[in-house]
Amino acid sequence: MNAMWLVARREIRTRVRTGSFLVSLAITVVIVAVLPFVPKFFDGHDDYDVGVVGTAPAAVAQVKFHQYPDEAAARKAVTGGDVDAALVDDRKVLAEGQLDTRLGLLLENAHREARLRASGVTITPLTVESLAADARYRQVRTGIAMLLVMVLFFLNIYSAMFVAMGVVEEKGSRIVEILLTSLRPWQLLGGKIIGLGVLGLINLGVVIGVGLAASVPAGLAPDLPPGMAGIVAGTVVWFVLGYAFFAAMAAAFGSLVSRQEEVGSVLSPMTMLMTITYLVAYFAAIEPAGSVARILSLIPPFSSMVMPVRSAASVVPFGEVALAVALMLVATVAVLFGGARVYEGAVLRTGARVRLREALG
Amino acid sequence: MLEIDDLRKRYGDTVALDGVGFTVRPGELFGFVGANGAGKTTTMRIIMGVLRADSGEVRLSGRPVTYEDRRAFGYMPEERGLYQKMRAAEQVEYFGRLHGLTPAAARTAASGLLERLGLADRRDEAVQALSLGNQQRVQLAVALVHDPAVLVLDEPFSGLDPLAVDALAEALKDRAAAGVPVIFSSHQLDLVERLCDSVGIISAGRVVASGPVEELREREGRRLLKVVVRGAPPGWADGLPGRVTQDGERQVLLSEGGDDQEILHAAVRAGRVEHFGWQRPTLTEIFREAVA
Repeated sequence: MNAMWLVARREIRTRVRTGSFLVSLAITVVIVAVLPFVPKFFDGHDDYDVGVVGTAPAAVAQVKFHQYPDEAAARKAVTGGDVDAALVDDRKVLAEGQLDTRLGLLLENAHREARLRASGVTITPLTVESLAADARYRQVRTGIAMLLVMVLFFLNIYSAMFVAMGVVEEKGSRIVEILLTSLRPWQLLGGKIIGLGVLGLINLGVVIGVGLAASVPAGLAPDLPPGMAGIVAGTVVWFVLGYAFFAAMAAAFGSLVSRQEEVGSVLSPMTMLMTITYLVAYFAAIEPAGSVARILSLIPPFSSMVMPVRSAASVVPFGEVALAVALMLVATVAVLFGGARVYEGAVLRTGARVRLREALG
Repeated sequence: MLEIDDLRKRYGDTVALDGVGFTVRPGELFGFVGANGAGKTTTMRIIMGVLRADSGEVRLSGRPVTYEDRRAFGYMPEERGLYQKMRAAEQVEYFGRLHGLTPAAARTAASGLLERLGLADRRDEAVQALSLGNQQRVQLAVALVHDPAVLVLDEPFSGLDPLAVDALAEALKDRAAAGVPVIFSSHQLDLVERLCDSVGIISAGRVVASGPVEELREREGRRLLKVVVRGAPPGWADGLPGRVTQDGERQVLLSEGGDDQEILHAAVRAGRVEHFGWQRPTLTEIFREAVA
């Protein structure tokens, strides 16, 4: 146990000390901090600009009024594109081409309300009762789910890649021969997976923390669905499970080769599996209630990305989550044992690529 | 005492080891020599447990070597392995910790070793920034950091400059003097001859000669008699086995298989006998003969 901790600590220390780790973390922070502001850019303007000649009406939500001295000036402002429309003496509306339907409704509504109020009628606004409690957050939930897909995918593939590269570094340089005279293969492998996993968790924590923090100034915070804490906790658990699964695979495949150049090709079955998982998780984000998403969110290793995405995109019954976690746990333990066996069998056979069967033999 | 007993190993149809056996006593510096591909590295990897033998056994103090025993061994593999991006001292310390040293003990041992190996001012440099010779010293420090109970070094001298060779030789003698069996392989036979108490010569997966260097030289050398005579008339040795060469006023007879007493009498009659003795071959000569 002690030896495993030493190995993990070395992994964390050496990786943190490299410039690339800090640089990529900084880039992540910037991207995640900017992301919540992106919808604003694409939404265009939030408020309509409306020119007014004569008395300005009472405040209308989503409309900003600009005073003009006479109709000629207002016309010029409309044709010049300074305002979306102009209201002349509370009587007619000037628009360039057709009047925006929504703006038309807003102005018409405000106009009527003002007249009615003037004639002594008070209007109680309609109250809205949402029957599907979930619906209000659907859009935000889908957004969060899509982000989660990307974050989980990149963190998993990035961390697993580092595991494989570390394994090959030790194998190719024969350090492993010295290491294995003082510790057991599972200690070396376990320490490496834990160390790089901790770094992955740090990355994930930064992404979640910065993302949530940035959503406040971006004005997204009130739109966050209830139970965010649960979604975050679930994401962390699923990252740990998915990472352990793929890291063990990466270590096993990585141990078959002796040169860094071969890592890419020997890992291709794993990257393929991860990419498929990514794609189905992406579809699950769009259609969380579909039967494909429901089934795949139970089957390892797809569940490692599909389930957290599904839970973010919609409300998933607890029983299904528990079942998915249990199945994934079993699969992860199996891959860890299998991976350790391949690793033990292959890591000391330097030179040509070792076949999987030889490693297990 | 480290006993290597009848190790056999084959890769497919290739026989790598065909019954390798020898013994290294505590405090003994054992040189392991042989041509490329003779089985040195395979033998050492089996001793370290990095490779499993098909049959045969490695014993320490009469018991088969276990994983726990090996944790106390020091090892330098043939192809050097260090973490390129780790600092020298940090690296040595790390391996010390893996061998079970406390943080303080590992730090002290690493500093002491690097100082002794002349790397004190390079201790905080990344290994990749060091010259090859200095990397090799770090490698040696890694093998020595935990005060190993047995030392196994594969080609530790290859690629070293004469100063580094001396430093390494001192370090090895030092370990041996502390009662540790030290086994190392080398192509530099003169070095092995100068340094080692015992040698093992391996050829095609078999140990063809092994034992104390002096014994081997005596045993192999008994057959060659060297006689130096000053002022002997030409032809004095006609009829004696062997061949005569002229060296200034001296005549040198190298004889094999003759009656030594008869040769001595003939020499005394011919002139002034300056040297009469059994020729002791160099290790190189023994090696050539053994692997031929």
